[in-house]
Amino acid sequence: MRRILKKGIEHKKARWGWFFVLPSMAFFAVFSFYPIVNALYTSLFRKRLLSLRPPTFIGLENYEYLLKSPDFWNSIKATFIFTLGTFIPILVFSLLLAAFIMSRKRFQKFFQMAFYSPAVLSSVVAAAIWLLILDPRGLANMGANFLLGTKGVDYKWLASANMVRFSTILVYFWKYIGYFTIIYITGLASIPQSLHEAAKIDGASGWKDFWHITIPLLKPTTVLVSIMSMLQCLKTFSTQYLFTQSGAPLEPINVITLNIYNTAIRDHNIGRASAMSIILFIIMLFFTWLQFKASRSGGEVDYM
Amino acid sequence: MNRRSFFVMFLCLVIPISLLVGKTIELQFWTHEDPNRTVIENRYIEEFQKMYPDVVIKRVTQSSTKIQELVLTAFAANQGPDIFNMSIEDEYAYIVNQRVASVNYEAAGYENKEALINAYLPGTLDPVVFEGEIYGLPLEITNWCILLNKKVFKDAGLDPEKDYPKTWEEMVEVSEKLTIREGQIITRRGFDFRYPYYLVAFIPMVEQLGGKLISDDGKTAIVNDEAWLKFLDFMAAWGPNGLNLGSPTYKNARSLFNMDNNDIGMCTTGLYQLARIKADNPAFYDSREWMVVPFPQFENAVNYVPAHYYGHYYMVNVQKPKENQEMAWKFIAFMLSHPEEYLDKVAIIQPTNELLESDTFKNYPYSDVFISDLEKSTVVYFSEYSAKIQSLVKEAVESVMLSNASSRDALNALRRKVQEVLDDQY
Amino acid sequence: MKIIKGQSLLVDVIIWALLIATALLILSPIVFMFTASLMPARDIVKMPYRWIPEELYLDNYAQAIRGNDGSYIYPRNILNSFIVAGLVSVTTVLLSALTGYGLAKFPFKGRNLVFLLIMATMMIPFEAIMIPLYLVATSLNIQNTYIGLILPFLTNAFGIFLMRQYLITFPDEILDAARIDGSGELSIFWRIILPNSAPAVATLAILTFRSQWDNLLWPLLISQSEEMKTIPLYIVKFAMEKHTNEGAMMAAASIASIPILILFITLSKYFVSGASLYSSRKG
Repeated sequence: MRRILKKGIEHKKARWGWFFVLPSMAFFAVFSFYPIVNALYTSLFRKRLLSLRPPTFIGLENYEYLLKSPDFWNSIKATFIFTLGTFIPILVFSLLLAAFIMSRKRFQKFFQMAFYSPAVLSSVVAAAIWLLILDPRGLANMGANFLLGTKGVDYKWLASANMVRFSTILVYFWKYIGYFTIIYITGLASIPQSLHEAAKIDGASGWKDFWHITIPLLKPTTVLVSIMSMLQCLKTFSTQYLFTQSGAPLEPINVITLNIYNTAIRDHNIGRASAMSIILFIIMLFFTWLQFKASRSGGEVDYM
Repeated sequence: MNRRSFFVMFLCLVIPISLLVGKTIELQFWTHEDPNRTVIENRYIEEFQKMYPDVVIKRVTQSSTKIQELVLTAFAANQGPDIFNMSIEDEYAYIVNQRVASVNYEAAGYENKEALINAYLPGTLDPVVFEGEIYGLPLEITNWCILLNKKVFKDAGLDPEKDYPKTWEEMVEVSEKLTIREGQIITRRGFDFRYPYYLVAFIPMVEQLGGKLISDDGKTAIVNDEAWLKFLDFMAAWGPNGLNLGSPTYKNARSLFNMDNNDIGMCTTGLYQLARIKADNPAFYDSREWMVVPFPQFENAVNYVPAHYYGHYYMVNVQKPKENQEMAWKFIAFMLSHPEEYLDKVAIIQPTNELLESDTFKNYPYSDVFISDLEKSTVVYFSEYSAKIQSLVKEAVESVMLSNASSRDALNALRRKVQEVLDDQY
Repeated sequence: MKIIKGQSLLVDVIIWALLIATALLILSPIVFMFTASLMPARDIVKMPYRWIPEELYLDNYAQAIRGNDGSYIYPRNILNSFIVAGLVSVTTVLLSALTGYGLAKFPFKGRNLVFLLIMATMMIPFEAIMIPLYLVATSLNIQNTYIGLILPFLTNAFGIFLMRQYLITFPDEILDAARIDGSGELSIFWRIILPNSAPAVATLAILTFRSQWDNLLWPLLISQSEEMKTIPLYIVKFAMEKHTNEGAMMAAASIASIPILILFITLSKYFVSGASLYSSRKG
């Protein structure tokens, strides 16, 4: 009798679960799943955007082409350099900044707003500002010359291959550091105060408390931040796009999304662009899975 | 929001009904942003709608760097506008793929094809001829010359009328004299190349030396290595690792030029720039401290090649009903019946023989310099793949200018990549 | 609250210095934008840069508002950005909270699969799906409407992920108690879950607002008339065009940024109060 009752409750709960999930699923069906499936399907065809002729089925030829193309491997390399170069500093610095801010008694609000403010500017505004700053006559050269004690050196922010990579990372870091700091602050605030007090009673020092209490308890937030920032980095587009539009060399920052865009919009080759998108999709899926797995190995099922 | 959604529902109901009832033809007309054109074309629309009360024309403008995406996506979804214009390199694919209609000669006010061809400067319709039909009417044909600031010349102790560069070698010399640097950083450039537009402004330099981007039969990439190497060496010497006379990452000079801030001596540009100087800086325009000189040639050039010309052509969506197409050509022809106003207000050239022989044109400042180059100029390379090929040339030039690649390596990479694009077509 | 306790005065000073220096560095491009917007173009590229404009040169602002074609459409475009970003934030919060709650607190068959599918949507780049999306939009006949601008963004995987992460630790006892009291599931969601998720809701709303404020590619495709365009489109058209001077460019950028900066400064208390609310619930 009891079991039946319990089963009834579970059944009812499951029904409510579906009810809560359903509107979003319907939404995703139309605006995400359909386009993804569409892209997967298109990737198996030789299809040009403007052609009215029916596309020809070519199986995996687009994938084969890409895996042999040095241009595509260059994009993979550019994407990974950007992702690692951005995602690791963001993860470390946003946590540090969040901890620093939370350790202050005053001006918490001010620092949060200051760090977050670049994120509220639109990307095009940010690009307009940074293109002026990174111009050889701009603030970047002036600042670098001042800080490094050099005179009249052109650091070629947008010109040399390594510097242009660094500049894209710099702009991205500037724009998103506040975003992830805010997420970390929400996470830090969720750690029950009582735990810190207990640690204090046990005689844990500030840093010990931070390493042994704060960081482990921040795991769900860290998973969130790392997955989010990694996915965002892998999907980066607008900074690279606007830089190349303004004279920066394409090759060092030809990230996969930019390659997808150029292949589709400039070259009209939608079949190959879709294949690239699917490969990017698989790469992101793999890394997300990896992070979930890594986060679970600690055994804290509750937090993830 | 409520009012808006009500409005949308209202539109959804009203548009199909009014289409069923019958007479109204709505023409979607997408074009790039150009404030001077907007003013006169809105007036043409008004006048045209008065002449044809059953026609409604919706003019939509987009940034000239973004319109390609918009038009392409719309056409890919079979929802393209009735009328649009872009640069010929971007438009050519629409012709090849049969997405645009050939000109309806009668609706456009011509007796037949020959009458239309005869109305225009020879060759200027060639880019839109495909399998014997004409697929567009030129909104503008543009070629580039060199615009120079006399004050900057005088400031450097040069006489602009005599010392302006006629050859690329002189361009280097003169630029060196005009350039002011603070350390490595250039605060006044002598001359700014027009970097993103490699097909229009750089390929002619190769051709002057006897080289070609693609062989005449269209099958082989890169003709005459020697010419190419000389060109690439020239660009490498120009760049920051050579004589440091400029690079693609400095702010492009066209808008700086108008400001007359003593930071740029010369730039590459078309006649339309004169109207922009007039709008941006009337005092400078009136001072006439600027002048236009022909596109330079290499000293030992084997061919005389000015900058290539490019064009914007009005085109009509072939998927629209016949009556829309006909009305679209009527409207295009109506707009294009004002070439003198386009020249006067927008400073763009519609290459009809009538305009080129008119006093308005002949009296326009420096029109003689532009037209003399234009007559010797050939059209920019265009194909379905021109945008890709342009970016490959850009990559090659950047690698020698910025990344210290050798001209030989850059050329070999360029050949391999362009060849791959050509082979991919078949 | 204090995370790092027991630090010495030296550590304290270092932390202050680091925070202040970081804040200055992060803010300097924004200060540059505002000061440059008040200078004639020739002063902006002058070395060294003068951080304080000599005179207030307001022509830039006049030019930015007037627009290249004298249409004064910019205020309308700014309003559009607020409408779209605001509405999308509301729908995203509601739908994400609903779905995140369902995923966090209601075990049902296939729940993990649903969660996985939702997460997967985060991984497709917009460039890859914009054409199929455009087809969907045109078949619904919503081009050039607010609905068209909003519909593809009603909710997103990140929001659901965030809400699920947040609600997964929500005490079940509170929910069960409410159920025993006879509350319906929807009313529990509305009266208990939503109010108690304030910090996550505030964060999500702000982040959603931000990402919509930034959206360029979709409005480019879907808004055809000037009246339906948003700020990024206007900036691209006005400031990125070849013949606009830097001062006017920075003025257009400043105008686009002032309202949103004001909004975020006034809402800033929700960042902090949201965070402390979170901790007080748990603490």
